[in-house]
Amino acid sequence: MPRRVSPLKRPDRPYLALGLEGSANKLGAGIIQHLPDGSSKVLSNVRHTYVTPPGEGFLPRDTAQHHRDWAITVINDAVKKANVTMNDLDCICFTKGPGMGAPLQSVALVARTISLLYGKPLVGVNHCVGHIEMGREITGAQNPVVLYVSGGNTQVIAYSQQRYRIFGETLDIAVGNCLDRFARVIGLSNDPSPGYNIEQEAKKGKRLLPLPYATKGMDVTLSGILTSTEAYTLDKRFRTVDSEEEDIFTPADLCFSLQETVFAMLVETTERAMAHIGSREVLIVGGVGCNERLQEMMGIMASERGGKVFATDERFCIDNGIMIAQAGLLSFRMGFRTALNESRCTQRFRTDEVHVAWRA
Amino acid sequence: MKIPFASEKHASIAKQVIEVDPELQAQAVKRTLTTEGDVLVATFTCLTIRLARLTVNSFLENVDLVIRTLGAFSEDAEKHAAQDSKWPS
Repeated sequence: MPRRVSPLKRPDRPYLALGLEGSANKLGAGIIQHLPDGSSKVLSNVRHTYVTPPGEGFLPRDTAQHHRDWAITVINDAVKKANVTMNDLDCICFTKGPGMGAPLQSVALVARTISLLYGKPLVGVNHCVGHIEMGREITGAQNPVVLYVSGGNTQVIAYSQQRYRIFGETLDIAVGNCLDRFARVIGLSNDPSPGYNIEQEAKKGKRLLPLPYATKGMDVTLSGILTSTEAYTLDKRFRTVDSEEEDIFTPADLCFSLQETVFAMLVETTERAMAHIGSREVLIVGGVGCNERLQEMMGIMASERGGKVFATDERFCIDNGIMIAQAGLLSFRMGFRTALNESRCTQRFRTDEVHVAWRA
Repeated sequence: MKIPFASEKHASIAKQVIEVDPELQAQAVKRTLTTEGDVLVATFTCLTIRLARLTVNSFLENVDLVIRTLGAFSEDAEKHAAQDSKWPS
């Protein structure tokens, strides 16, 4: 079988792109450089997170306000750290969707303004594709099954014929959303993120409590598990502090049980996709990808199949601007532009809607 | 509402940037955006006073963001535009 040649040619000169991300509570700006030798270089990656008090989630209106307050500072910081000027850029990339409406729109307004002021083309980027492309770039994974897990998304993805195809996904809420909401119920801090704190709490857990295991073929459902875990906090055996008492459990035990259950479900559906397409690589992207227990469990499954897990650190797995710049610059180099009158943001934007022109 | 800008170019940028997004309740809110020189003119017709308040607040938040962005970057942009024009195209 003839090897397919990548449609993406090496650039004749260095290319620079600014990426702006704000689909949830993280506001990011990053500048990436594509060099003639085919490599990519992260010149800057600046992020500011909107952190709410413990027990509270983030609402669209306040999140948009946060992004409006911080956009200029974050962008200026990114440009300064990259040691470039806005004029050196080839394009301005921004998250078109999916995500929360008002926050997305706030960032888009800034992107459009800068685009018109400097006469730079706009490139609208799919948030999920941003995660995937940054994961590929950083880890060098060739053709992995991608597990994209965050507060807003849970998808098992595999690349085929210029599309990132969704093999399986959550039928209701995202795994990050499930974990974050339980973290709120037990009053964990949202700083630096509820997911990080639930992971630390889970490490202290010892007792594995039974929770519903809800894989549905290639898909998963999570809201029933969340309800069951929350119900345990009303159980008379629930104690806020651990003791030698028999037949009790603590918040740490619940965090531990919740993680073990949902992560096992994700590992199962990922394994199913791997078996289906005959892949030996798993790439975990998205905020929940920072979770070391998930990486560990996935690693055990992958090595049993003679494969390997790729993951990035919190700079890249948590929402950021550089991933938008990366995916944006790849599509820009293939001739993709977003006209001003098409630069509306959209809360629903399927991963497989994007034509991945830069891959064979 | 009439909002003055530093220049005709800035007013035009603001109009182009803001008019991309439709009103959230397009069936209940009618909006026109035009420029008169360096002034952005916005006219809203709403079914209720509450809707007018929400619409105007949202519009002003967006205008404020655009103005601050123009304020932060226009000097730098003009500097480069002046430099570029020194060279033959």
